[in-house]
Amino acid sequence: MSEHILATQGVSKAFDGLVATNNVTYGLFPGETAGIIGPNGAGKSTFFNLLTGYYPPDTGQVFYHGREITKLPAWDRVNLGLVRTFQLVSVFDTMTVLENMMLARMRQGGSYASKGRFFFGRARRKGLDDECFKALATMGLEGKAGTRTSDLSYGEKRELEIAIALSLNPQVLLLDEPFAGLSLVEIGNISEVIKKLKGKFTIAIVEHKISKLMDLVDRLSVINEGALVCSGEPREVICDPLVRECYWGKEDMVCY
Amino acid sequence: MLKRIEQSPPLTLLVVAAAFFVYGYSTSLFKITDFIIFTIFVLGFDMAYGQMGKLSFGHMLYYGAGSYGAGLCAIHVYPDPFLAILAGMIFGAALGLILGPVLVKLKGAAFALSNLAFNQLGYFLVLVPFAPVTGGEDGISLSFNSYGFIDFSDFNFRFYFYLACLLGVVFLYQRFTRAPYGIFLRATKENEIRVRFLGYNTQVFKVVTFVISTTLSGLAGALNALNLQFTNTSLIDPTRSVEVIFAALMGGAGNVLGAVMGGMAFMTIRQYLADYLVRWEMFLGIALLFIAFKLRKGLYGVLAKG
Ligand SMILES: Nc1ncnc2c1ncn2[C@@H]1O[C@H](COP(=O)(O)OP(=O)(O)OP(=O)(O)O)[C@@H](O)[C@H]1O
Ligand SMILES: [Mg+2]
Repeated sequence: MSEHILATQGVSKAFDGLVATNNVTYGLFPGETAGIIGPNGAGKSTFFNLLTGYYPPDTGQVFYHGREITKLPAWDRVNLGLVRTFQLVSVFDTMTVLENMMLARMRQGGSYASKGRFFFGRARRKGLDDECFKALATMGLEGKAGTRTSDLSYGEKRELEIAIALSLNPQVLLLDEPFAGLSLVEIGNISEVIKKLKGKFTIAIVEHKISKLMDLVDRLSVINEGALVCSGEPREVICDPLVRECYWGKEDMVCY
Repeated sequence: MLKRIEQSPPLTLLVVAAAFFVYGYSTSLFKITDFIIFTIFVLGFDMAYGQMGKLSFGHMLYYGAGSYGAGLCAIHVYPDPFLAILAGMIFGAALGLILGPVLVKLKGAAFALSNLAFNQLGYFLVLVPFAPVTGGEDGISLSFNSYGFIDFSDFNFRFYFYLACLLGVVFLYQRFTRAPYGIFLRATKENEIRVRFLGYNTQVFKVVTFVISTTLSGLAGALNALNLQFTNTSLIDPTRSVEVIFAALMGGAGNVLGAVMGGMAFMTIRQYLADYLVRWEMFLGIALLFIAFKLRKGLYGVLAKG
């Protein structure tokens, strides 16, 4: 277990008797890009929520760098480098694109460290502005800095959310269905970005369509009805009879 | 135009000062001092409501804490007016610090009603068990040291001093909302959970915001105790909590000019309409209905558009 950067030990979570995550023991290796697939309602998002501290598991433990973080609040996990995006794009619609980025960046630099500046300083200042424009540029959004976020397309919002996640200096980046609701072109763009990030830090991607992950991930795991079904080299996993069974007739399965 | 003023802090200060000067000198400085105090209270309330999105039905508690803090300090410690004001703010802040960690976790009606419940409790405490100290229903009358022209029994001095306090609060309010903290507040109001996933301990910052709100309310209460030269239970009466809510709604929440307009408009109705209408509260009720249905963003919303 200690070689994992992020791991769970038998975590379970139920909602009113419905077991959404069932005794999952899973680990991410440093630097790998891992995929987690499973049909709709399989419990993928719930599992991410347990990893990131959205809510605590009913039973089981979560470890980060070998240290137990099961009860650690979400914000502390983020500050330790455990960063996520949400399945439904989650940015602040009432603010501008730049302000969205400032919110993520302004506590990273000196401004958060010195509380005085956080409360009394000016939000707009050269150093922070430069940092934010640079962070927006990672997803090609620097030209939209002044735009109200509610005026962005869904795809642009997704890009903004990823740019924000990257600006938080992740060690582990958890992406919950980063392609959901996007056009083919947008999916291509985001795939390219992820490919460039591969190896720089640990990445886990949840997806329910297998095809989008095949050439992106080093390792694939399958969750069905809350439980981890199997895990391994992507091409082997999708040919596993158990996996074929839970996807049978539902998905775009191709056995390579 | 209103928006342009709001966006420039020096201009905002100028406009607020000018408004109270003109209003004060064209009516009576003595009366307008009340307006200033109430406007400070509205701004304090608005830190919780306009900035954090939490509507309290019990803010008279913090106002009352400020009044009694000032009064008790004057009687039992030393009758220095500035010490009394400081004590009032400390009382407001302390109450916010004690109750805040529990209260800010609550949402909507639970937050509103819990504040009301604590207000009710505080009212009872000063009325009965602590009556020997607080003077119960009759309250306590106060007198303060004066130093030359610094004389709180002179309404001219009070007017200027209180106006300076208001401008200080306006300055701070705008400082906060334009700082990184202001971006944090707006984001938290929109989606608190998402803010947590950017690494913010939202609980701590919400408590801080609540304490700022209760401290400013305490300041208003303390200034009022000095203004009246007494404190009694009407200064912590939970049924009066509706006044500040009403003013904030009327003016428009979430900005300085809205709070100032709300405070002025409410006090004007109360001061002057009461001369003509015996049951002026009914007029307030009708006005509130009108706001609820027609002017969701208050006077600021209407005037900022034009
Ligand atoms: N907060 C909640 N309250 C009640 N039930 C929930 C909650 N969150 C998830 N569930 C249920 O738990 C199950 C797993 O949900 P989850 O969102 O984890 O699935 P998923 O694999 O992410 O699915 P999708 O592909 O649709 O995103 C579903 O049946 C869902 O209805
Ligand atoms: Mg999901």
